[in-house]
Amino acid sequence: MSETILSVENLRVEFETRRGTLVALDDISFSIAKGEVLGVVGESGAGKSMTGAAIMHLIPRPGRIAGGRIMLGDQRIDNLDRTGIEAIRGRRIGMIFQDPLTSLNPLMTVGDHLTETIRVHLPLNRRQARARAIELLEEVGIPDPTVRIDSYPHEFSGGQRQRVVIALALCAEPELVIADEPTTALDVSVQAQIIKLIRKLCSTRGTAFMLITHDMGMIAETADRVAVMYAGKVAEIGKVSPVVGAPLHPYAQGLMGAIPSLDNEEPRLRQIPGSMPSLTALPGGCSFHPRCERAMDICRQRTPALLGGIDHKVACHLYEREEVAA
Amino acid sequence: MAEASSDTTKPVEPSLRERIADNDIFIDFKRNRLVMFATALLVLILGASLLAPWIAPTDPFDPLSLDIMNSNLPPVWQADGQWPFLLGTDDQGRDMLSAVLYGLRVSIIISALGVFLAAAIGICLGVLAGYFGGFLDAFIMRVADIQLTFPAILIALLIDGLLHGMLPSLSRESSASWVIIISIGLSFWVQYARTIRSSTMVERKKDYVNAARLFGLPPVAIMARHILPNVMGPVLVILTINFGLAIITEATLSYLGVGLPPMQPSLGTLIRIGQEFLFSGEWWIVAFPGIALAALVLTINLLGDWLRDALNPRLR
Amino acid sequence: MSDSEFVRVEKLNRVFDVSKPLLNRIIERQPKRFVHAATDVSFSIAKGETFALVGESGSGKSTVAKMVVGLLPATSGTVEIDGVSITGKHDRAQMRALRRRMQMIFQDPYASLNPRWRVANIIAEPMLALGIVKSKAEAQHEASALLKVVGLNPLDGRKYPHEFSGGQRQRIAIARALAAKAEFIVCDEPTSALDVSVQAQILNLMRDLQEQFGLTYLLISHNLAVVRHMSSRIGVMHFGKLVEVEESRALFKNPRQSYTRMLIDAVPDISAATRR
Repeated sequence: MSETILSVENLRVEFETRRGTLVALDDISFSIAKGEVLGVVGESGAGKSMTGAAIMHLIPRPGRIAGGRIMLGDQRIDNLDRTGIEAIRGRRIGMIFQDPLTSLNPLMTVGDHLTETIRVHLPLNRRQARARAIELLEEVGIPDPTVRIDSYPHEFSGGQRQRVVIALALCAEPELVIADEPTTALDVSVQAQIIKLIRKLCSTRGTAFMLITHDMGMIAETADRVAVMYAGKVAEIGKVSPVVGAPLHPYAQGLMGAIPSLDNEEPRLRQIPGSMPSLTALPGGCSFHPRCERAMDICRQRTPALLGGIDHKVACHLYEREEVAA
Repeated sequence: MAEASSDTTKPVEPSLRERIADNDIFIDFKRNRLVMFATALLVLILGASLLAPWIAPTDPFDPLSLDIMNSNLPPVWQADGQWPFLLGTDDQGRDMLSAVLYGLRVSIIISALGVFLAAAIGICLGVLAGYFGGFLDAFIMRVADIQLTFPAILIALLIDGLLHGMLPSLSRESSASWVIIISIGLSFWVQYARTIRSSTMVERKKDYVNAARLFGLPPVAIMARHILPNVMGPVLVILTINFGLAIITEATLSYLGVGLPPMQPSLGTLIRIGQEFLFSGEWWIVAFPGIALAALVLTINLLGDWLRDALNPRLR
Repeated sequence: MSDSEFVRVEKLNRVFDVSKPLLNRIIERQPKRFVHAATDVSFSIAKGETFALVGESGSGKSTVAKMVVGLLPATSGTVEIDGVSITGKHDRAQMRALRRRMQMIFQDPYASLNPRWRVANIIAEPMLALGIVKSKAEAQHEASALLKVVGLNPLDGRKYPHEFSGGQRQRIAIARALAAKAEFIVCDEPTSALDVSVQAQILNLMRDLQEQFGLTYLLISHNLAVVRHMSSRIGVMHFGKLVEVEESRALFKNPRQSYTRMLIDAVPDISAATRR
């Protein structure tokens, strides 16, 4: 296995409310290697965006990291103070958000955005920064970058704007880019181009991507490894082809079966009954058991651990036994 | 498919007390000492003034109960003070405590009616403008703009003049309170109309309104049953803040003599009468109505400011 | 009148006036500007069929949906249901009868239910407004029955919309459409605000109800997989024009337009995972 860029170990995030402590993330562990795309999938409320926010110290109040470790390379970043994390944000970890329009200041040209960010992070003068900005725009596929650099965000289409945001995230040559639903606001045809771009950047620059999305198709096309989240925990994690192609966790199985696909002729989709529990009413034991067809007694009593090899791990009592037997 | 609602099998409705105790606004209220104090004081003032006929020591407007021998008595804690005239008496021997309580009562009732009239006009016009848009909207909002250029006092004078011009036999005494209510109503409606209009324009585009249009509900029913309940939120805040303003406006009008006559005095009237005695050393005739007015407006404003913040989730 | 043309849309046009205000136009010497959101859109839907309109954002599919149900007046063109034009002149009773036959399910289940109303009243309202039931008690009774039909607990009628999840709200919206005794339901992106597992529940429910009540659907969606799964015939919209209308299977196997092919190829596919 190649060099690890980010590793998250037993991360726990809690929200102190007057109705008690809510556990938003519970025992999250994963790592991302250089040039790798880790997909984080899950339905709304599963905690996938919270995981990204925890890494960047962007958890909304009154949430806080209550346990675990986050390592960026050799540096521990979960306990950094404000100035410490600000030196990392943008410089070593880039960010891409869902809506490209709100991530750009409408009163600044694309060039202003890029040169400003470049000069904050790198020791370049104005002319050098501009030259670099043009290179970046070219790299993310903006046609005619020498002219377009002086345009304002509203003069770009949605897909091009997202390309600009990607260029912005790449300014300081970060080791890791966290992309939270980067294609959700875009049309299908544009989505496909952005997916291609992310893959290209990973292979040419060796940037690691953490791709947070609800779109399983996007994961299948882009990611090397994938973590499936449910109710604040990782249900299953591993290489894309086993996890998406032959999932083990009953939730992941249900999720894959629920997606209508172009070559599926079945009149009915597979459906998971019910909906994800809210954090205020998490069931005991495995939090998926009330919706699980294969729930056993133990599922109601004990939380399953995430077990398995490097390529494929699952948190489900169905497989724990085999593990013990083997 | 029944399992789709497995988590909702037993809808348990919390009792009213539980719902209030669990309410964010109530909890915020309990934390805020100043607002609690203001509310307690406001309840005291409102209660005492509305119950004035029953709790006031004397009826200050019953000429039979007045005794000229008791005139110009200072408050009891001063050397010449006399029981039962706790806050002293005026030049006609009228008990000041009773006069202030009755004056508060008049001020509060008239301002409240005025503010309600303003809210009624503003809400109706605002919903109409916001829902229909176009020419009607432009017309109503231009009228509102023009309205804002007239101060309440000018409107009161105008209405007063018009009313007496049309009905010469009308006595000032009987028409005075209505003139004030209408003037307050006509000068304060704009704020409601503007707020309601903008929230109506947001609600009108929502799909529940489209759904109602699809099963053929007429516009009036859509406005009254669907939109109105969803745009009323800010009205409570404006009502509270406007109530304080209306009391001041009423007092100003009465002080200037356009308002209520001495036989039916509001706080403003009392202050106007009282100031004539200021230079002869009888300070209590003007001070106590003044203090009552300040306390009332201050508590209302404190409560209104807090309500505005508490009801606006963006400020949290 | 044949069953194959239960709903007939002919040469539907919609032009939006996006000109600047009159004064600005005079000062800047600019002509009026118009946007053609829909140009000569024609299609027909057979009884009990699901017809889908797909297209990317701005293709005009939602504009067409709104014109079909009459929420947006058409600039020109006709919409007929069972041979009766909805754009023609009708008296109140006729209009009522027409309205009753078609309903709409909206994209955002958080905006399509009035937050201040109890769910039972939301479902009862169309029955009372359209005169389907005689009394409030009857409407409440029917509303409970409908909640059961869409897979909710009849006792849920006492709750308010905010107490439900997105999927459950969409079920309530479907119950409301059924309450009007609609035969033709326009579904505007009914599942695009929902998570996939919930989307599957709603799509399955829509299919079950179609069989049970013989419903005809016009499905508006940007999601080709959903469209492929749900509909028998598909119309592809591009810049306000209907560029291709084809039977579902044939369209995906053999798209005639290059635009359609591009759309199909762009769909991210889960099977890509196993190929890599």
